[in-house]
Amino acid sequence: MFLRKYGDLITSVFFLIFGIWLILYARTFPESAIVSIGPDFMPTTIGLLMAVLAAILLVQSIMALKKPAEIKADEDAPEYKRVIESLVLSLAYVFLLQPVGFIISTLVYLFAQIFVLAPEVNRTKKDLIIFAVVDVVFTFIVFFLFRYGFKIVLPAGIFTINL
Amino acid sequence: MGALAQLGSALLSVCQPQSLLLMVAGVAIGIVFGSIPGLSASMAVALMLPITFTMTPSLGMNTLVAVYIGGISGGLISAILLNMPGTASSIATTFDGHPMAQKGEAMKALGLGIVFSFLGSEFSFLILTFFAPKLADVALQFTPVENFGICFFALTMVAILASGNMIRGLLAGLLGLFFASVGMSPIDGTARFTFGNSNLLAGFNQISTLIGIFAVADILKTAEHMSANVGKTIPINKVKGFGFSVQEFIHHIPNFLRSALIGTGIGILPGIGGSTSGMLAYVTAKNMSKYPDEFGKGCPDGIVATESANNATIGGAMIPLLVLGIPGDGVTAMMLGGFLIHGLSAGPLLFIKNADVVYGIFAACMVCALLMLIIEWYCIKGFVQVLRVPKHILLPLVLVLCAVGAYATNNRIFDVQSIILFGLVGYIYHLLKLPTTPFVLCFLIGSLLETNLRRGIMSYKSFGAFFARPIFDVFFFVAIGVLVYSVIKEVRAGKKKA
Repeated sequence: MFLRKYGDLITSVFFLIFGIWLILYARTFPESAIVSIGPDFMPTTIGLLMAVLAAILLVQSIMALKKPAEIKADEDAPEYKRVIESLVLSLAYVFLLQPVGFIISTLVYLFAQIFVLAPEVNRTKKDLIIFAVVDVVFTFIVFFLFRYGFKIVLPAGIFTINL
Repeated sequence: MGALAQLGSALLSVCQPQSLLLMVAGVAIGIVFGSIPGLSASMAVALMLPITFTMTPSLGMNTLVAVYIGGISGGLISAILLNMPGTASSIATTFDGHPMAQKGEAMKALGLGIVFSFLGSEFSFLILTFFAPKLADVALQFTPVENFGICFFALTMVAILASGNMIRGLLAGLLGLFFASVGMSPIDGTARFTFGNSNLLAGFNQISTLIGIFAVADILKTAEHMSANVGKTIPINKVKGFGFSVQEFIHHIPNFLRSALIGTGIGILPGIGGSTSGMLAYVTAKNMSKYPDEFGKGCPDGIVATESANNATIGGAMIPLLVLGIPGDGVTAMMLGGFLIHGLSAGPLLFIKNADVVYGIFAACMVCALLMLIIEWYCIKGFVQVLRVPKHILLPLVLVLCAVGAYATNNRIFDVQSIILFGLVGYIYHLLKLPTTPFVLCFLIGSLLETNLRRGIMSYKSFGAFFARPIFDVFFFVAIGVLVYSVIKEVRAGKKKA
């Protein structure tokens, strides 16, 4: 609800600040000795356009806020817990991929991610076994396909298969 | 010998069993690479290159062509079924392909995509066969100034795509332009927005950005409503043949011709590429359509436009490659490597010295497109089974494939890590109801735009001198016209609402 009401306001304020930051930051770039349009030209232009458009949107959204907002029937509430869990899992995955290695990190990540996404009714013992089988089979198929089919060596990490 | 006679004898030799088998294998491998998000056509060609070492030049080239064609067309499969473009060329296929799949028309969407990919390829190959040398002269007319004009024109398309909510659409796009400017600036190599991180010097990888915006953001979006969607499955309507009638086919012909022309035209210009051509064809089809509001909600015309155009780009891209020896993108650069390995030097002399090889390539292109049609048609039923896999299992598997694909492009773990950043951008856009398409389009074109602008200024000294070039003028003023028209339309619509 909060986002629906203040979405435009947040967007415009964010882009306004970002645009101004861009313009200021671009001033620190050195001038180009070869070309009259230097490395600061694009960021400055982007920042300028952004700030102007955001200012217009800001005015519009403030005007819109004054009007009584039409209240729509709420759909099912988003499950932000699942979203945050997925985000944390995938973050952990991409940062552990290199140090831990592809096989172990993928085995752990896939199972956890499938479990987090699965609706409560799909978390019976039988489902968990399916998840585990899919997890193991898929991880090794990808590993062997890349290693021997495409000749691309995935991060080995602490444990590796040498065949 | 005339072109037709040359082509005829080349077709005969291409259809030898050994070369046919190699091409079937090549097309199939290409389709696999194309359909997996993160694995690209250029990677497939790079992988096949060493395998062609031991073959004769013509067999080797036929195999590479097969992989290229399979790779570009394979992207439509994942675009339609998973809402993730398998290659950058098929971004615009997701706009209408995925909504169609959601409505149960996955088979029809795939059928349309495959048939028009085939027709688009053949169209461009015919042009390639008969007009290659003449068109190459046109390509030479294009300096950075003209390329800047085209990029500028493509960018104004964002305004049209975002119509109805233009300010937010443009803001969404501007952020994409910003991300494109991260890294070393073109020409002088000033480090911008890198904050001392050496990984950022090369900028963000295109594949990582696409994967983040599409695949990672999709997982987060799906996670929002997982419990509510229990037991909901996507229907898959059974269809006969390719899933559309002769009347429908005739209805699509004007759209097809226009899109294939756009595709071939963009292909001829080095360095612009399939993703832009697909997008341009899509927007043009939307504007010319009698029912523009249907676009984006599962309109077959959208698929026809994109797929005709991105496959037609292949034939276009081969023109500067063969005639001038200028590769337009990553894939054609790999192909050029293939030429060198087999002792052929692409360029004007190739047509005189090795005419048999040149016409062999033309013939191979045509046959490979047909093979692609046959292989994909037989596999449609298998592809759509992907829709039956529950989302909570499917999406994590896709994410792992994407992560591996992002890694494989440059063997850089940073590319994998940046997919999460773009996933977050995609998800925040979703929360704020901002469109992601302008972001992607601007990101893809951003660095091209800047490079060409600055190169142009370098050789012509001032922006004013750009206007002395007529081709630039056309693109520039049409773009300005389109922009003004869209803004007026937008303001009027806004007044009506108020």
